[in-house]
Amino acid sequence: MSLIVPTILAQTSAPMTPADFWLPIGASQQAAGVDLTFTIINWICYFFFVLVVGLMVFFVIKYRGKPGARFRTDAPTHNTPLELAWTIIPLLLCIVIFWYGFKGYVDLSTPPKNAFDVNVTAFKWGWQFKYPNGAQSDNLVVPANRPVRLTMRANDVLHCCYIPAFRVKKDLVPGRYSTLWFQCDHPTGLDEANGYHLFCAEYCGTGHSNMNRKVLVLPEAEFDAWMTKQAAWLDEIPDDELYFKAGPKIYARCQQCHSLDGTTGLAPTWQGLWERVSNPNSTARFTDGKSYADLIGPGKEYATPQDYLRDSIYRPGQHLIAPFGNVMPTFKGQLNDRGVDAVIGMMQHLDEFDAKGVWKKAPPATTK
Amino acid sequence: MTTIEAPRHDILDTTATGDNYLTHSRGFLSWALTLDHKRIGVMYLVAVLGSFLLGGVFALLLRTELLTPGRTFVDADTYNQFFTLHGAIMVFLVIIPSIPAALGNFVLPIMLGAKDVAFPRLNLASFYLWIGGALFTLYSLAVGGFDTGWTFYTPYSTTTTTGGVIPVLMGVFILGFSSIFTGLNFIVTIHKLRPPGMTWFRMPLFLWALYSTALIQVLATPVLAITLCLLIVERTLNIGIFNPTMGGDPVLYQHFFWFYSHPAVYIMIVPGMGIISEIIAVHAHRHIFGYRFIAYSSVAIAMFSFIVWGHHMFTSGQSGLMNTIFSLISFSVAIPSAVKTFNWVVTLYKGTISLTAPMMYGLAFLFLFTIGGLTGLHCATLATDVHLHDTYFVVAHFHYVMMGSALIAMIGGLHHWWPKMTGRMYHEGTAIAACVLVFIGFNLTFFTQFMLGSQGMPRRYYDYQPEFQTYHVISTIGAYVMAVGFVTTAVCLIQSLISGKRAPANPWGGASLEWQCASPPRHDNFEHQPTVGDCYNFAPVVWDEKLQGYVVDRALDTDMPHASHGSHSHGGGHS
Repeated sequence: MSLIVPTILAQTSAPMTPADFWLPIGASQQAAGVDLTFTIINWICYFFFVLVVGLMVFFVIKYRGKPGARFRTDAPTHNTPLELAWTIIPLLLCIVIFWYGFKGYVDLSTPPKNAFDVNVTAFKWGWQFKYPNGAQSDNLVVPANRPVRLTMRANDVLHCCYIPAFRVKKDLVPGRYSTLWFQCDHPTGLDEANGYHLFCAEYCGTGHSNMNRKVLVLPEAEFDAWMTKQAAWLDEIPDDELYFKAGPKIYARCQQCHSLDGTTGLAPTWQGLWERVSNPNSTARFTDGKSYADLIGPGKEYATPQDYLRDSIYRPGQHLIAPFGNVMPTFKGQLNDRGVDAVIGMMQHLDEFDAKGVWKKAPPATTK
Repeated sequence: MTTIEAPRHDILDTTATGDNYLTHSRGFLSWALTLDHKRIGVMYLVAVLGSFLLGGVFALLLRTELLTPGRTFVDADTYNQFFTLHGAIMVFLVIIPSIPAALGNFVLPIMLGAKDVAFPRLNLASFYLWIGGALFTLYSLAVGGFDTGWTFYTPYSTTTTTGGVIPVLMGVFILGFSSIFTGLNFIVTIHKLRPPGMTWFRMPLFLWALYSTALIQVLATPVLAITLCLLIVERTLNIGIFNPTMGGDPVLYQHFFWFYSHPAVYIMIVPGMGIISEIIAVHAHRHIFGYRFIAYSSVAIAMFSFIVWGHHMFTSGQSGLMNTIFSLISFSVAIPSAVKTFNWVVTLYKGTISLTAPMMYGLAFLFLFTIGGLTGLHCATLATDVHLHDTYFVVAHFHYVMMGSALIAMIGGLHHWWPKMTGRMYHEGTAIAACVLVFIGFNLTFFTQFMLGSQGMPRRYYDYQPEFQTYHVISTIGAYVMAVGFVTTAVCLIQSLISGKRAPANPWGGASLEWQCASPPRHDNFEHQPTVGDCYNFAPVVWDEKLQGYVVDRALDTDMPHASHGSHSHGGGHS
């Protein structure tokens, strides 16, 4: 991959701004400009607040009437120059504020041409980040000192990618691509505890507040190594450990529709699924009335239950179990053969997992 | 000007002996089928305050859940219903109808010196439409509630499995018609029923505010009705309008929704501004400063409100050019709001200020609206709004405007006109103590949310990062302080109905027409068509020890609104 960083950006490494009373740490190049605008508006607010409330309190104390006293009649009813002044001065201030906001916004919405691209998919309720070499991750991992452009889409409903430390936010809209860019010059390493928050900021239902992930920033060389390693993560797991090391991680994308405890969601539960599929006498029927036994077996459409399950992951609409609809997206291009093996292995050993998909035989592996 | 032969307090003191709108006829049907704008106003008031209680309970429940990160006492789905119901009830059932339909209905015709609104039957129909809409909303709770947020954003709202979505959409649809009818009625009433002498620029500013509001209600609400219909069609018939899997566009929904709902923000706040103009002038006993600027600014806000909706969508994916234009125009709303605020403050200058309960609410409004209005600058500015959008900063901002301003104005107006509506005085000290509690509780609840939001806490979150907990705890404590304040207010007002002193016709020293009729008013408001002067000239208003109220001394000024002369005994035989 290209490591060319334009000199202009390399020279302007933005210092991290510390958190203060109002704003969290600012770790992106754009943060300083946004914070300056915020601070300018704040001071305008302080000034007018003190003016209005100060005058109010002063007048109330000074002109407080005594009970039964006659009313003063010497007050002016209007003063056109004064009123014009407090129409025009706020107007001018507003134009200044608008201008600062506009300039900042242009910066926020114009990604440099050489930006590093990450594809983002949001779904109920999680994120998937995909990198140019095919690597995928649940946390957003990016190179430092280099502009990063996120090309984002939503699978189901509206979501919104919000990284407070970078002062960036953009909705993910089903049916459209949206983009967002930032540059962070402050590496965090791969420890989630040091990462910057990434929130979903558009309400999306039950798990809305659990869509928080971390942005992890790595120095460029380290990032390249991580990305290469990440692309091959499935290959590094021994075959017989795939189902409990990779399975739960992949299942995190399935759990929104497929339960492990028999609960009926948008799709069949995985509980007992392997037994149903491999049992020739299963009473389950497809929407066209066929049974598993009609499809699976030597000489039939699928030689083995594994073949059937693999096809259901790659071509989910091919055969639908009644009464479920055709709602599952294809995982072709997202899950390779070893990934499918991990999923089927997990189905076969479901008694080793709890209802949330955590492997009960060992402490859950930290996912990255 | 007509000359006055008899002492005016004789006319005004019909309270003890005369017929009034409360005693004019009796029985359930005399209320349920009444065409009297005052009774309809009172029925609206009871209904709106009942809804306020319900919405407030949901607010307390959701604040309680937010005491700790993760589960405090309910699960995420229940929490999502709490905030959705809190928002939907407070917006559609409480704030939108509170001032125009409840207080406006009662006060508007009296301020005009009219016997009723232009279309009394339409007025009653509008009330029953409100009841119908409210019943649909309650029904939606019975069939599973809804968890879409009050904004009903698609595709979530068309795909969520909660069962109450269609009923509540129907409910809001019906409530919209209630709102349109009220607005229509007020527009015609103000155009056609002003008495001789009351030119547009002699109207009390509350009427300018109600008129501006009515324009928005009539012009914007139909768009909401259409949008909700399209949503229902999509959800029930699977016709793709907003859902991209069926060829629709979710951002289109947001445009439609905010085309109504941004003007709706001004349906909520502009009448509140009108009340504040009245309260500050009457309780400072001083001519409102810059009448014309305040009047024009109400109309300006109403007009600008239609062209700024896109500032709710700066991060939605609408084009950068649109964002820029909407940001620029959004600032235009700041100007009339600033003009009003400065005019109110200067109205205190060289006044004779009484720190009554309504005035305390008026001052609380000035404090809270200044914060609410100024923080609007952060939200209208593109670069900062990208950071603040959909965070608690926005939640705090609109609560300062919707609740700290609109609702505080409504409660202030309630205290202001309570003696007129009920004929009873409440205990002033208790009412002020309650106001102070509400004020402190409000700031504890919502000022903390500015910091939560600017620090990056997104809204509508069931679970949150532990670093946000301190502010959440303070915010929840504030909510309970506020609840104690509102309960105290309720006790104070209910107690006044039972054992309050009888109210004089003019307890505060007001000069507009509603203070020239009895408390409570007669069934037909005035015995004779009143003639009209400057409703902000307080020079002739003097305290009368015998009546324990204010009277107008005609010798001091002739340019005053007043009910025409006549003895109260003429009006005593209606019941």
